[in-house]
Amino acid sequence: MSNEIYIVGAARTAFGRYDGEDNELAEQAIRGALADCGVAWTDVDFAVGGTNGETKPDNLVSRLGLTGLPFVTVKNGCATGGVALMTARNGLIAEGSDIACVVGYDNHARGAFNASPARYGIGEWYGATGMMVTTSYFALKIQRYLHEYGIDPITLGYASEKAFDYATAHPYAWRRKPVSVAEAMDADMINDPLTRFMFCSPDAGAVSLVLARGSRAFDLCETPIRLAAVELRGRRPGSFEVFSPWLSPGDRTSPSVDASAAAFAAAGIAPADVQVAQLQDTESGAEIIHLGETGLVAHGEQQAGYVNGDFRIDGRIPVNTDGGLLANGEPVGASGLRQVHEIVRQLQGRAEGKQVPGRPRIGLTHVYGAPGISACTVLMAEGA
Amino acid sequence: MAVDVVDATLFASVDPVALRGSVCAACGAHVFPALESCPMCAGVDVADVALPTQGTVWSWTTQHFEPKAPFRTDGFAPFSIGYVDLGPVIVEGWLVGKTDWSIGEHVSLVLAKAWTDGDTVVHTFGFEVTA
Repeated sequence: MSNEIYIVGAARTAFGRYDGEDNELAEQAIRGALADCGVAWTDVDFAVGGTNGETKPDNLVSRLGLTGLPFVTVKNGCATGGVALMTARNGLIAEGSDIACVVGYDNHARGAFNASPARYGIGEWYGATGMMVTTSYFALKIQRYLHEYGIDPITLGYASEKAFDYATAHPYAWRRKPVSVAEAMDADMINDPLTRFMFCSPDAGAVSLVLARGSRAFDLCETPIRLAAVELRGRRPGSFEVFSPWLSPGDRTSPSVDASAAAFAAAGIAPADVQVAQLQDTESGAEIIHLGETGLVAHGEQQAGYVNGDFRIDGRIPVNTDGGLLANGEPVGASGLRQVHEIVRQLQGRAEGKQVPGRPRIGLTHVYGAPGISACTVLMAEGA
Repeated sequence: MAVDVVDATLFASVDPVALRGSVCAACGAHVFPALESCPMCAGVDVADVALPTQGTVWSWTTQHFEPKAPFRTDGFAPFSIGYVDLGPVIVEGWLVGKTDWSIGEHVSLVLAKAWTDGDTVVHTFGFEVTA
């Protein structure tokens, strides 16, 4: 039996503020994904749900039907979507079953995430002295990166401008007003060098995917998208992670470097083969760093890439074509699956927002989050 | 007069001020705060060590909004934090005395007022430009 796994159905809700129940959002996405490929809930063999909130994804069966299927819950911070997808892939292969459903969702309160030192094994002093702040971590990381590679801070403004430009055309994005480079640079400073228009905000949303084994995929979907690789990696010495009271000196690395390299190897491709990409852009600096860490662009050459328009819809490698986290916000459990949803639609030639011209066949998704984990997928249209 | 600090286990000594880290007997890695095992090589033979008190700014930012609880302050004003390269380890802490910094500036460890608790002034560690 073929172990090739395909994405045959996909759906997302609009992202933004949501007044209803978390479970309603999740249910909307699941029903949308099932409808996308004409699969009934009763046909699903295996399910995985991810959320960073308080609800229990496995209890969605009370809304969808008590079919007795195994339903695994994952909770891996910003990487939850990628981990959920990997778990579903592994489940299908290990169980020898045909169809899996994956869902990721969250409905966050306004404002920056408020992390507890104890949950991260750090003393209370760290929070009491104002260092347990995710925005300052991102600022410290990009400040160093810009310095190390001689990148002008205006590159941050280019990244923001690009994200909101994509979002103006995307019906499900949250923030759809254009922002110029100058507006991004001149906005209120949050944490130097990052301004208000350079951060994503926590919000609400849900995404669901239906996966099928090769033998079934082509019956269920006209244009199934092959999950050519999904790889998860944790941090090694030399990575620079959130809530770190200390760092080791010497060469730096990142779980994003390892996860993307593993995904390219598993798919048998090189970074240069990628035609459309989704990168974790929790803030503008993260996109710049992740362009380098995934090998899509050489470290230090990002600035020229933005100026040349390489990452725009008609550029060399369009990046975050749905506006990314910057314009969609970050419902943590849904965010990684939103990336996959967008690449699936681009490869199927039916993007909801701007469609990459020339029908791209190979896409990359990359999530990255606390406490230093990254998951990457390589997605391929048939014939790639 | 005794000096109150946010967490006494962070300090090898308070006067003169020095941070308490740990060093791994197997690989020599220094970490802060002190740990009972080595995350770099997974070794378990580690010992306390007083960290160097002079270094250079490795990265910096200024916190322009007031962090949520459990942040404590008598009155918020933007403040800088950074990573300081002390040689064997890079330590995160307050950068005190100004809010606009450059990577590479030479800094020295100091005690900085964090908040008052009744009549007690509670201090944390920070780094200021080396005189």
